[in-house]
Amino acid sequence: MALNAQTLRELEGIVGPAGLVVSREGLLTYECDMHTFYKGAPDAVALPQSAEQVAAIVRLCRREHVPIVPRGSGTGLIGGAMAPVGGVMVSMTRMTRIVELDFPNRCATVEPGLINLWLSQATRAGGYFFAPDPSSQMVSSIGGNASTNAGGPHCLKYGITVNHILGLDVVTGAGELVRLGGKTHERPGYDLTGVVVGAEGTLGLVTGVIVRLTHLPEAVKTILASFSTIEDASETVSAIIRAGIIPAALEMIDEVVIRAIEEGIGAGYPKGAAAVLLIELDGPAAEIEAQAGPIEALCRDHLALEVRVAQSEAERALLWKGRKEAAGVFGRLTPNWLLQDAVVPRSKLPQIMKELQAIGARHRVVIANVFHAGDGNLHPLICYDDRVPGELQRAKQANEDLLHACLRLGGSVTGEHGVGLDKSESLPLQFAEADLNFMARLRRTFDPDSIMNPGKLLPSHPACGEGFRPTAPRLPAGAWI
Amino acid sequence: MAVSAPALHDALADIAGREHVLGDAAALAPYAVDGMVPGVVIRPDRAEQVSRVLALCAAERLAVVPRGAGTSQGFGNPPRRLDVILELSRLAAVREYVPEDMVATVEAGVTLDALAAHLAPHRQMLALDPPGGGSRSVGGVLATHASGPLRFRYGTGRDLLLGARFVQADGTLTWGGAKVVKSVTGYDVPKLLVGSLGTLGVLVEATVRLHPVPPASRSWQLGFPAPDAAAGFLAALLDSPIQPDRAVLVDAAGLRRVGLSVDPLAVLLSISSVPEAVDAQGQTLERLAAEHRGRSTPLAESTWPRLGLALNGPTLLRAAGEPRRLLHWTGEAQAAATRAGAGISVLAQPGHGVLQASVAPSQDPARIARDLVLPLRRALEAEGGSLVIERGPVDLKSQCDVWGGISPEILAITRRIKTEFDPYGLLSPGRFVGGL
Repeated sequence: MALNAQTLRELEGIVGPAGLVVSREGLLTYECDMHTFYKGAPDAVALPQSAEQVAAIVRLCRREHVPIVPRGSGTGLIGGAMAPVGGVMVSMTRMTRIVELDFPNRCATVEPGLINLWLSQATRAGGYFFAPDPSSQMVSSIGGNASTNAGGPHCLKYGITVNHILGLDVVTGAGELVRLGGKTHERPGYDLTGVVVGAEGTLGLVTGVIVRLTHLPEAVKTILASFSTIEDASETVSAIIRAGIIPAALEMIDEVVIRAIEEGIGAGYPKGAAAVLLIELDGPAAEIEAQAGPIEALCRDHLALEVRVAQSEAERALLWKGRKEAAGVFGRLTPNWLLQDAVVPRSKLPQIMKELQAIGARHRVVIANVFHAGDGNLHPLICYDDRVPGELQRAKQANEDLLHACLRLGGSVTGEHGVGLDKSESLPLQFAEADLNFMARLRRTFDPDSIMNPGKLLPSHPACGEGFRPTAPRLPAGAWI
Repeated sequence: MAVSAPALHDALADIAGREHVLGDAAALAPYAVDGMVPGVVIRPDRAEQVSRVLALCAAERLAVVPRGAGTSQGFGNPPRRLDVILELSRLAAVREYVPEDMVATVEAGVTLDALAAHLAPHRQMLALDPPGGGSRSVGGVLATHASGPLRFRYGTGRDLLLGARFVQADGTLTWGGAKVVKSVTGYDVPKLLVGSLGTLGVLVEATVRLHPVPPASRSWQLGFPAPDAAAGFLAALLDSPIQPDRAVLVDAAGLRRVGLSVDPLAVLLSISSVPEAVDAQGQTLERLAAEHRGRSTPLAESTWPRLGLALNGPTLLRAAGEPRRLLHWTGEAQAAATRAGAGISVLAQPGHGVLQASVAPSQDPARIARDLVLPLRRALEAEGGSLVIERGPVDLKSQCDVWGGISPEILAITRRIKTEFDPYGLLSPGRFVGGL
C-alpha cells in the first residue's frame, strides 16, 4: 500500500523533513528486525520527538486507514518491528531522554527509545538499577522491552519487565494520549498498564515509561559449574529450585555453544564439557555466602566436573559477556538457524532436554542451547544450511516438534521474545478459540480500526496476509537471545 | 426478570442441585450487598456449572454479583441491580500442584488457609497475606487486588497470578495466561482480571506463582517518637541493602487495636532468609533504627496474622500516593479525621505508598464524607494519588463515590472494555469505577 502524497506531506508536517524516511535505501534499514526471515519495509518511517507528534501520526493514519508499526531498536527476534503490509513505521530512536530520576520514589520516567543499559548506568551511582536485563540490553530500548515484556537472565529472581513498569504514556489505536498508572503503585480501575505491557504495539504506541528502580544488591557471587552430560546439568537445575533457593540467574550453555563462545569471545568456559551452568547469587552478603555452599554441593552431587566461583569482578564480567553475547558467535556454528523460546514447567527440564536431543537426531539437525534454565525458558538454536537442499525443511520440522513437546508438557509458546509475526499462528496450540476471541476483542477496544501493528501477536485473519514476503533466512550481523 | 422466580429457581437447581440454590428470605438476608438482598443465591461446585449459570443469567438479563468467602463483599459502589449471588466457595479444589514447579492451580473458592496447609509440607507458600487473613478465598483476594505486609518483597496478585480461567458474562469459559512462571504468549489477560471486582468475568481457577518459605525469620517492632523520625528511618531503610520481606507502618491507634506496645508510630518489619543473613541484617536494621531515634523490640511472629485487627470496623479507606509522601499522607489522614471528629487507625505499606485507615463507627457519614473522605481525596488526586472506600456503610457511599475521580480518557477505555465483555451490564453492575 503506497501512501498518497497528501498523507506524506502531513506526516512531514508533523515530524519535519529530518524525521521522515521515504527513500528506498533508507527504508531498507527498517524492513526487518533481528528475525531476518521476515521482511517487509514500511512505506515511510516517522521519527517523532514527542508524544504529541506520535498522537498526531496515529490520528493521521487512523483517518487514512494506514497501518502503523512501532519500532524501538529493532532488536526483537519475532518479526515484530517490520511492516508486512507496509504503512507507517514509527521509530522511537529520537525519543531517548531520561525525563526524571526520582530516587526517593525509587522510579524513573524515560522516553521509549532510551537504551535499557543507559538507565542502569545513570542510576548506578545513586545505588539503583533497572532490573530487566534482556541480553540485548546494551542496544534494546526500554519502550521495546515494555512492548514485548522482555525477560533476561536475572528475571528469575527479579521478575520480567511488567513487574518493573509503574506507568506508561500511550497513544492508543483510537488516537487517545493517556497516562496509565504512574508513580503511585495502585489506582482505581483496570490494570491497563499490565495489559499494554507485552502487547507488542497492537494496542497503542508507548511514548513514555515510568519504571521501578531496584536497589543494587549488597553482594554478588557468580558460580560456573560444568557437567559431562546435559542430563546432569538439568537435574542440578531442578535440585537447586527444589532446595528452595532462587538464584538471581541460572543459565545453561551446552557444548556446541561453549565451543563457539570460547573461539569467539574466550569467556573462560571449560571446553569439552557437555554443559555448563552459570549461577549467580545476589543480595545480602551473608545470604549469598550461606547459599553458595549448598549450591556448590548440589552441583557436585550431580557429578559436576568443575565448580568455580568467579574471583574478581573482571572474571565475573567475562563469564557474563560469554553468555550475553552468545548469539553473536552463532555464525561460527552454522550458516543459518531457527530460534524459539518456548517454556516448560521447571520440573520438566530434564525431560525436555532429552526430547530435544532426540528431535535433533530424528531430523538430523544440530540443536544448540543457551538458555534461562531456572525458569524452564528454552532457547534452542536449530542449525541448518540453506544451501543444502532439504535442511531448512528438516529444521522447521524439528522446531515444530520441539514446540509441540513443550506444550505437551504444560508449557508456553514464548517465554520472553514475544509472538510477533513469527509465532502468531502457533497461539491456537496454547489457546482455545474462546481465549483468542477474548484477546481479539480486547484488541479492538484499543484499536477499533485495526491499524496497530496488524498481523502481529494474534493469528491473522486470512485476508491480512497481503504483502507478506518471507525470504530465505540469513544470519544477522549480531543478535541477542 | 423475564422468567418467574420459581422457574428461575428450577433452572438453577437443574444446574447445581436444589440444595445449593437459596431462595427464602431468611437464607438470603446474609447475602445482602450494601443492603440489597439478592433474589437468589446459587452455589455451583465446578467451572462448568458457573458457565451454565452465567449463560442462563445472560439470556434472562439477570444481574450477577460473584462472591468468594464473603469477607470483602462490601467493596465497590452499591450494585445498581442484584438478582443473583454466585457463591464460589464450593469451588475449593487444589487442581494441580507440582512442588518442583513452584506453581499451583487452584479453584477460586480455595481459602488462603486451605492452600497454605496444602503447600506447607513442601515448605512453599502463596505470598499473599491480606488483612482479614486466611479465611479469604484466592479468587476474592485476586478480584479485589488485596495485599498485606508480604507485598513488600513479593508484590501483589498482579505479580503472582500467572494464569486464569474465568467465565465471561455470556457463559463462555475462557483461559488467559499460562501455567509456567514465564510466558508472554498473547495478551496478559490475568492482569486485566486482578482488581476487576468481577466486572469482566467470574474467576473460577487461578494458576499462581509460589515461593519457598525462607528457612529463618525474625520480626521487629521499631517504635518512633515522631513522623519525621519514622520518615527518616523508612527512607534510609529503602535506600539500604537490607531486604525485609514484610514492612508496615502502624500508628498508635492501630498498635493499640493489635495489642502491641504503643508508640506514636511504629514500623513492624520482618527479615526472612538463611539464619546468618537474618542476624547480619537484623544488626544493621537495629543500628539504622537507633540512628533515627527508633526503639527496637522483638515482635512475635504470631502478630502478623492479627494485624488486620488494626483495620476492623465498618469503614475502611485506602489511600495511594507517591511512596516518599507516605508519612505526609498519614499525617493528613489523621488531621482530617480529627476535623471530622472521628477516630482512625492507620496501617500503611511503606514500599508502595499505600495507606489503609479504619474509621471508628461513632461519627455520622455525612461528616465523614465532607470532612475526611472528600478533602483527603482531593489532596491525593491533586498529586496523582487516589482514595478508595474499601468498606463503608451505604450512608457513606451515598455521599461519595467509592472510587473517586478517574480521567475521562481512561474512563472511556474502561467503558469500552466493560461494554465489549458485558454489553448488558450484568456483572456486578454499577460497582466499579465510573459507575460501571
